[in-house]
Amino acid sequence: MRGQKVSMLLGCALLCSASLLYLGLSGIDCPPPDHAHRHTWADAHLGSTNQSQASPIYYGEDTPLIFIGGFPRSGTTLMRAMLDAHNAVRCGEETRVIPRLLAMRATWSRSARERVRLDEAGVTDQVLDSAMRAFLLEVIIGHGEPAARLCNKDPFALKSLSYLARIFPQAKFVLMLRDGRATVHSMISRKVTISGFDLTSYRDCLTKWSRAVEGMYSQCQGAPEGSCLPVRYEQLVLHPEVEMRKLLSFLGLPWDPAVLHHEDLIGKAGGVSLSKVERSTDQVVNPVNTDALSKWVGHIPSDVLREMDDIAPMLARLGYDPLANPPDYARPDPIIAPKNYTLADDDFLLLSFREQKPYIPVRWRRR
Amino acid sequence: MRVSARRVLTGLLILGGISTLTQFLRFCLPCRQPSQGAGEPVTVLVRDGWRVSSDVPLVFVGGVPRSGTTLMRAMLDAHPAVRCGEETRVVPRILGLKLGWAAEKEGVSTKVLDRAVTAFLLQIIAGHGEPAPLLCNKDPFTLKSAKYLAHLFPNSKFLLMLRDGRAAVYSMISRRVTIGGFDLSSYRDCLAKWSGATQAMLTQCTQVGSKRCLAVRYERLVLHPRSTLQTVLKFLGLPWHEGVLHHEEAIGKPGGVSLSKTERSTDQVMRPVNLDALTRWVGHMPPDVMADMDAIAPMLGRLGYDPRANPPNYGQSDPQFLNNTQRVRTHTHTGFC
Repeated sequence: MRGQKVSMLLGCALLCSASLLYLGLSGIDCPPPDHAHRHTWADAHLGSTNQSQASPIYYGEDTPLIFIGGFPRSGTTLMRAMLDAHNAVRCGEETRVIPRLLAMRATWSRSARERVRLDEAGVTDQVLDSAMRAFLLEVIIGHGEPAARLCNKDPFALKSLSYLARIFPQAKFVLMLRDGRATVHSMISRKVTISGFDLTSYRDCLTKWSRAVEGMYSQCQGAPEGSCLPVRYEQLVLHPEVEMRKLLSFLGLPWDPAVLHHEDLIGKAGGVSLSKVERSTDQVVNPVNTDALSKWVGHIPSDVLREMDDIAPMLARLGYDPLANPPDYARPDPIIAPKNYTLADDDFLLLSFREQKPYIPVRWRRR
Repeated sequence: MRVSARRVLTGLLILGGISTLTQFLRFCLPCRQPSQGAGEPVTVLVRDGWRVSSDVPLVFVGGVPRSGTTLMRAMLDAHPAVRCGEETRVVPRILGLKLGWAAEKEGVSTKVLDRAVTAFLLQIIAGHGEPAPLLCNKDPFTLKSAKYLAHLFPNSKFLLMLRDGRAAVYSMISRRVTIGGFDLSSYRDCLAKWSGATQAMLTQCTQVGSKRCLAVRYERLVLHPRSTLQTVLKFLGLPWHEGVLHHEEAIGKPGGVSLSKTERSTDQVMRPVNLDALTRWVGHMPPDVMADMDAIAPMLGRLGYDPRANPPNYGQSDPQFLNNTQRVRTHTHTGFC
């Protein structure tokens, strides 16, 4: 009896370890994807035709996407985290691929000869735009949880703001603006590398900041009426509720108090998903605060301070007094109506791709 | 009786225990993502209600430039069931971009990126021409990414055009066809690059497997068009169509061969298939390069092109196509390869 029991036990143990080994080695297939996903997207997609829920949903050019961007270190992550806290919105982390593809697209259309070659090949603007749309939608949709309003945050994507507005006519753009001195100080002190920027020189960074912001800002103003809203970082952290109410109204979204406490929704489903490798993650886990407003004061070399207005003309134009260290952010100067310049998209993109070489404004006319 | 009942009970208990353990393990052990092939195909709306999915039958034609890729795609275009169209130019660029991103561990997941690339490619390949039962794309360097494309498009096949490197290089240098990475002032450099590129593409082709990738020799195509194309069409699962032997008659016609004014092979491919370009390279290789030929371009020998023979014996032409070469010769004035 005992012998039999022992052998039975042994047999069991053998069987158990064999199954453990087999399962451990071969792995178990994950349960199939939740098909409830499709239904949520079907409900969420505005403008979808009366298709049965079984057939795939086609997002097209009418998708009301939200694009958040601006110069890095200008509060773009904070903005998207606050929007992520809204129950109807999902932005998610930076994709990093979107700005690169947009940049590549810009180089193709920049060269007249290339345009001719592409046209001859049947790869017309229309075909290219459809391809770009398809790529962008797959990335934005697949990048995170479904939501009624999908959103993307890649700071430099707004270097192609006008192009995005053309291929997504229902899209809205949120351009984050910030005092360039604070932005550049943040970049340099935190060693956030941006291609083309010399982190040992405040002068170089401020000059390039000014040009980059000018390009994005002019595209924002040139965008169709009511599609682009510039938001000042300082105002956002000083008066979050006022700014968020304005923003949500601009986006056509109902008020959701959760946007004022994004820190409560970090890592939660339907909340804020943060990236382990993004440079602002450690800051954005905190509630909205004014800590970073004037950290830059005292760090900028005096020769740069003296020539500030010449180095970074956008400061004054955006209402940041170039000679005040710091300006009183609580009482902001208004953004000055832009001079009559025409900086065509192509020209701006030409500038930005010369980031490796000294910035030379090519073919732009003032007044 | 009692003993066996107890045994049965014990046996059942043990089985129950094992199954509970297994279920428990399901949750404890990390699960494996279902294979990519099980994912939903990417579908795009091209135009006017024409939708294309990533599981559509597709053929990619490629090879090192100046290896007969345009001729091959033109002959395929002459088949009513196939549409290749011109080089898109952007397909290899996005593949190159993707290769650069592959190393990134941040941003979007590989699966999402693959879907996005698939969607982009579908829009370009389908959108730049007319619909057809078998869509086709010819951008020479895409065959460097054959394995990746085979993964994105499960019903895709590949045609790798191979040619004597000396002929290809003579063609690019004498016609001054700029190709990224090839130094047109040096036969040595071009031959070495030809060898490297050919090896890379052949490796990809082998990895994709013989059921999905077919290597076609340019020399065999022009010497024996009928039998070569029979092999190709059989490989593609298409019925024979006499029109593929007379692609020049389908140029500019609907459902036929669409040519680009700016592509470098257009003037050649407007003519019927001929042997003019086979041995034009002879006598143009610098002697020092000829002496080191096998070391410079090892793929020559490996593909069966004798590096010491100038030229090697490519074979005898089919008599009916000899006429083409005669016809073409009387009409051509300048001899460019």
